[in-house]
Amino acid sequence: MLSYLRYSAIAPGLIPSGIIVAIVIALVFASKLTLLHNFFGFNWNPTLSWGIGAFVAGSFLTAIPALAFSMLIGLGLAVASTTYLPRLVASLLDPFVDLLAGIPSVIYGIWGFIVIGPYFGMTINPWLADHLRLIPWFGPPSGNTLGEGLPLAIFLLTLMALPITTLLIRDSLRAVPRDLWESGLALGATRWEVLRRVALPYARRGVMSAAFLGFGRAFGETVAVAMVFGSTAVIPSNFYGTGYTLAAAMFELVDSSYGNFQFLAVLTEMALVLLAISLAVNIIGRRLVIRLSTTEVAGV
Amino acid sequence: MRSVDATLPPVPGIASADVLIDRSARTRFRLGFDRAMGWLTPLLFLVAIVPILDMVYYVSLKAVPHLTWTIITGTNPYEANVYLGVPLYTTFYVIGLATAIAVALGLFGGIATAELLPEQWANAARTGANLLVGTPSIIIGYLGYLGFVLYFGWGPVFIAGVVTLSFFMTPYVFRTADLAFSSIPRHIREAALGSGAGPSQYIVRVGLPIAFPQVLTGVFLAMAIGIGETAPLVVTMQPGVLVPQNLFSPAKTLTMVIWENFQSPLAANQVLAFEAAFLLLVIVLALNVVVRVISARYQKRLEGLYQ
Repeated sequence: MLSYLRYSAIAPGLIPSGIIVAIVIALVFASKLTLLHNFFGFNWNPTLSWGIGAFVAGSFLTAIPALAFSMLIGLGLAVASTTYLPRLVASLLDPFVDLLAGIPSVIYGIWGFIVIGPYFGMTINPWLADHLRLIPWFGPPSGNTLGEGLPLAIFLLTLMALPITTLLIRDSLRAVPRDLWESGLALGATRWEVLRRVALPYARRGVMSAAFLGFGRAFGETVAVAMVFGSTAVIPSNFYGTGYTLAAAMFELVDSSYGNFQFLAVLTEMALVLLAISLAVNIIGRRLVIRLSTTEVAGV
Repeated sequence: MRSVDATLPPVPGIASADVLIDRSARTRFRLGFDRAMGWLTPLLFLVAIVPILDMVYYVSLKAVPHLTWTIITGTNPYEANVYLGVPLYTTFYVIGLATAIAVALGLFGGIATAELLPEQWANAARTGANLLVGTPSIIIGYLGYLGFVLYFGWGPVFIAGVVTLSFFMTPYVFRTADLAFSSIPRHIREAALGSGAGPSQYIVRVGLPIAFPQVLTGVFLAMAIGIGETAPLVVTMQPGVLVPQNLFSPAKTLTMVIWENFQSPLAANQVLAFEAAFLLLVIVLALNVVVRVISARYQKRLEGLYQ
């Protein structure tokens, strides 16, 4: 009786895994893995040349800087709330970071495009272009005045990856045994030194998993990036240029693919590339983190 | 230091124990650096708080002056770019049905994973749920588009979007159900099984009442995430101007209104996008507050069980 119940429980337990398998089957089935002309090239000119290189480049160009910023800020936030702030103050401030994960991406997009965009386009980008003109890729022209382009996309992705990196680092710092903290302090080290020499090395798996999962979030983000990255199928011409990411291109071009088998095949192959990268990143990230104390933040 | 002073024996050749205090430049730097970090790192909270406040402020600023009750609830299909009633009701229909499907798909799986599955199977199930959470929403949208819209031939209709969205929400329900049942104290489970309850009796009579608040948290969380989701719906539903009449009607949710209108050159359309964004923000923030309140109360209750 018991074993019967146990085995009948396997089917519902494997539903989420089944959905992933269904995704892979659907994508492979729809694309038939046809490699069309110049698939790995950088020239996107539908019906003649199907290079997805520009999309892949756009994804990495937005996700990697965004991850770097959100790791730095997330590390600082996690350190502040676990080490320096009184428990009460930390418990009042932490929910704001978690709330960043709850805000829909389309609202990030409209806020980024209409409220923040012109500020980037008319103030920040020209200023950066003027002051960084000696660094090759960062000089003028400073892009369009709407602010669409890499800096705005990186800014939004930093905010969107921030709750994940902060939460995972915070969680792993909380898991550092109190004994270690107290012995460090008793030996005369400052809080910063204990953190730097004892706590962070102890929590390094959590910090690394934060990097991987935060990258997964930034890499797969669709709507917000589609709204602010300018939607041009080229590698950004310089730091202020517009472009496309894999996810944004899949999202915006799916209409054009209706009734065109080749177009749909290329889009589904782009989906396979995106899926492969985000699954790989997530598998690595999940193996590093042992068990989360909470699941109440979107996307973690 | 004072107590050390008091017990130190006099040291020949040293006037006071004061020299035992390290006042070197290096130590002063170490202490100062520590104190500086104590002030600087909390300042980073501004990076999170300022954007949220700015977002809420500007979205309200652009939406609230134009917002009237008629605009929120009006459903005249000939004025689809003025009234928000249709997308608002459609959003509730979509999210209601999708939540129902997601609970059906995720709840039993989560409970089974925590209580019934052998360890290896349970770990496999958890990995699957975690990976599905990490899967970009556009890819789940593609599953719906390729599977329901094209292969099943449903076309871009209400039910295609609903089922796609429910796939997106399932792992959240699954994981909170799993976590809720796994975090029930062991002695309660042993007491129930020891006094003769079978596993199914334990789950329904003992486990569910204890875990219910957290399961509910997961459902609300899934709703809050699903309600703000755009990509899977845009690729699987054709925007309509009416509240869906049946499962195969076109349908348009609030997020789709924002996506269609945010770039419009017409001022009226932009206002519509911001009104939709404002309603969405209010709903999502309210759901997030509900999640926090329930889970905080649940934590207290769970701590009580350990005594």
